[in-house]
Amino acid sequence: MNAKQTGNGKKRAAVLAGLVLAVLLLAFLCLFIGSSHMSAAETLAALAGRGSAAQNRILWNIRIPRILAAVIAGAGLSAAGLVMQTDLNNAMASPSTLGVSNAAVFGANLSIIAFAGGFLSTGNNLTNYTVGANPYATSLMAFLFSTLSILLVLGLCRLRSFRPGVVVLAGIALGSVWTAATTILQFYATDVGLSAAVIWTFGDLGRATYRTDLIMAAVVICGIFVFSLMSWKLNALLSGDAAAKSMGVNVDLVRFSSMLLASVITAVCVSYLGIIGFVGIICPHVVKRILGHDHRISVPASALSGSVLLLLADTLSRSLGNGSALPVGAITTFLGAPFFLTIIFGKRGGALDD
Amino acid sequence: MIEIRGLAFRYGRNRPLVLNGVGMTLRDGEISVLLGPNGAGKTTLFQTILGIRKPERGEILFDGEDLLKMKRRERAGRVAYVPQNIQFGGLSVFDTVLTGRISRFGIRAGKEDRNAVWDILKEMRLEELASRNVEELSGGERQKTAVARALAQEPRFLVFDEPTGNLDIANEQLILSEARRLAREKGIGILTSLHDFNQAMEMGDRFFFLKDGAVRASGGPETVTADIIREIYGAEVRVVEIEERKIIINGGKNL
Repeated sequence: MNAKQTGNGKKRAAVLAGLVLAVLLLAFLCLFIGSSHMSAAETLAALAGRGSAAQNRILWNIRIPRILAAVIAGAGLSAAGLVMQTDLNNAMASPSTLGVSNAAVFGANLSIIAFAGGFLSTGNNLTNYTVGANPYATSLMAFLFSTLSILLVLGLCRLRSFRPGVVVLAGIALGSVWTAATTILQFYATDVGLSAAVIWTFGDLGRATYRTDLIMAAVVICGIFVFSLMSWKLNALLSGDAAAKSMGVNVDLVRFSSMLLASVITAVCVSYLGIIGFVGIICPHVVKRILGHDHRISVPASALSGSVLLLLADTLSRSLGNGSALPVGAITTFLGAPFFLTIIFGKRGGALDD
Repeated sequence: MIEIRGLAFRYGRNRPLVLNGVGMTLRDGEISVLLGPNGAGKTTLFQTILGIRKPERGEILFDGEDLLKMKRRERAGRVAYVPQNIQFGGLSVFDTVLTGRISRFGIRAGKEDRNAVWDILKEMRLEELASRNVEELSGGERQKTAVARALAQEPRFLVFDEPTGNLDIANEQLILSEARRLAREKGIGILTSLHDFNQAMEMGDRFFFLKDGAVRASGGPETVTADIIREIYGAEVRVVEIEERKIIINGGKNL
């Protein structure tokens, strides 16, 4: 009698297994791609630790942390985007529309320009711009400001008991304030400080180290696990606040906690890697179109497809950059803008504001 | 039985009272129809009973227990809601109905929950649609799915806001007969609002006229008269009896 339901479950399992395979396969292939033109045999040797010292270092200290960063941050940003969209009943909700990214940029700029903070990078020429400061200072500031910003937005919205449209508008308003503040900072910055600050905002997976990967992984894995536990509550939110409340769901608590968690995931990823926009819009959008909204599947599927997208985008950025990788954030934004427009002009344009 | 006494509600400290001393008694297995002009506070009253909005004053007792102080889950097992504007989230019909049991299972639905949903789908003749996406349903099927979701809460009372709002006549009859069946066969108390007086007369056991946030008149079918309709709505109607049924005709003598 429950044949149809178990059938559904099998389909879900198959889709997720496929995505896991895709992530693993892509991640493996990405080991072989890079500006140092190592041959496949050399890469494999380095993987086993039997390459030359330089090759071992390139593989283990540059390529692998970078690939891990793509997998982790892609999953985190995408799942966070999905949850924000459900929470706000708005297909265009994402870290950038809610001002989280802008606040991170301001925090990083403040650290780099005003306090000459350093940041970790392997991908550009400003590596030397770590004027004796703690290399994590910039990330920490970015994290603090993005968290502060989302708390402000959530606080403002409690006053209006969380009407979804209000949250997005508050986020946009607050985001512009951060951007204006950033502009003023940059106006007074030195040339070096300014370029360092601007380069920080380019999302760049090359900054990842094992330590940052570990921190991101801890936050992202915990986050996705909690989102999975909340699947049904998030599903209930899809029926609207009144209906969800009448079903006994503590709507305000579910929304507040999941928004906060999504923001922390975003803040951690952005603070270590810079702005990687639109991952949180593209992947959930495609997943919801193909697999439906059910969070039991859309949370893991968004996360995995986020990893796939970021791995692909990073590969693209490394092949286009003529030796040094283009910022991966630019690639995802190029890919993302058309999706944004489809949401606005698509059949379900009602998603703009419900 | 739900007893409501002195219920007052407003949407913000300096705003006018939307409900101002509402009192009514709803009985198990009866269909209570709330009548009143647009903006009389019908939906607000429903949502206050359901715990969606917190009243400023007054009490709501469910078999003597304070419904307002009850835990969310306990309340969800007593009263359930079929909203006026039904919104679904693109789940299958089965999963949508299963969502109604969330206060019972919390994190993961068990076998018991699935079986309960199958029973309800069968009872509502929605079985065939179980794996369909709710977004593909017709208006009547959506309405039935929403009722099924409310029933999945296993409530004793069902609040049914404008059940016939956007339905054609066949679906209208379907939903109304479903509501009647739930009241008669399962003893579920139903509180509903209907704009059409004739539908109301056909359905209702008890009638409540709401205006300016208070119940102005209540009682059985005899309560519905041209006078009270004039007083509440400011509209002229004529009441005639055909085959022992009261029929309300628009326009009164002026038409």
